[in-house]
Amino acid sequence: MTLEPSPIGAVQTKKFVMWLFIIADAATFGAILFGYGYLRVGSTNWTRPFAFSPSIINGLVMTVVLLTSSLTMLFAVSAAQSNRKTDAIRWLGATMLLGLAFAGLHIREWISLIGEGWAPGANPLGGSTLVGATFFSITGLHLLHVISGVIAIAVITMGFNRGRWNASYVETTGLYWHFVDLVWMFVFPLVYLLNAHS
Amino acid sequence: MPTAKLYVGIWLGLIAIVAIETVLAFSHLSVGVMVAALLVLAIVEAGMALRYFMHLKYEPPALFWTLIPAIVFALLMMNQVWPDAHRLVSLHFP
Repeated sequence: MTLEPSPIGAVQTKKFVMWLFIIADAATFGAILFGYGYLRVGSTNWTRPFAFSPSIINGLVMTVVLLTSSLTMLFAVSAAQSNRKTDAIRWLGATMLLGLAFAGLHIREWISLIGEGWAPGANPLGGSTLVGATFFSITGLHLLHVISGVIAIAVITMGFNRGRWNASYVETTGLYWHFVDLVWMFVFPLVYLLNAHS
Repeated sequence: MPTAKLYVGIWLGLIAIVAIETVLAFSHLSVGVMVAALLVLAIVEAGMALRYFMHLKYEPPALFWTLIPAIVFALLMMNQVWPDAHRLVSLHFP
């Protein structure tokens, strides 16, 4: 494997560029979460839409699915770096399936909420409409990242399988996937748990 | 480099933190205490993911010092919205 020139010691250029993207994207998610906090603190009629069952249980299952997909991605990177191509492709496949499961659970939850009357401009409980606006914006942006990640992993898997790309591409894609997981570690407590009612 | 055993340990640790967060959310704490507790736990989770899943622990320290202080600074600066958010509440018509 040929190492590419790098601006940061022994870190490969593509990995460094992915880190730069992650930092920029972290600022984006940070800003949207701060925006949510601002609107929530500034609202006098905020409502909490999530009951433990089914909303929080569904969120917990989604969290475990996403965390597990990070684990399978780690195994895929390890296998790719050890030249165990078949294992790497199997673990990448498992990661994609878990990513799709997360997206499926998320879309099912959205459909259920929309069926109850929730929308970016509607609150069926009669409180602030900003509840739906912030919920759909934040989770929608995250869901977009998950779907993009699954597509990226599929492309990298095909290239790695054909021998066009080496393990470093799998590792760089893995960085992105772990970042998507990291963002959810803030979205779940701040958007779901803080909006739960007993 | 980390082993599969370490990865599974970190994964279990992250799931345990999510379980603690969920228990806290239904334990009738004041909103301020709950927000603080959930944020601290989320930051611990993020730290574990950054160090072990994203391998920042095993990268040259220059990578950490190039990236992380910048995003921490940017996020800290965003805290300037809170006084205005509190002011907004008092602007509501009865």
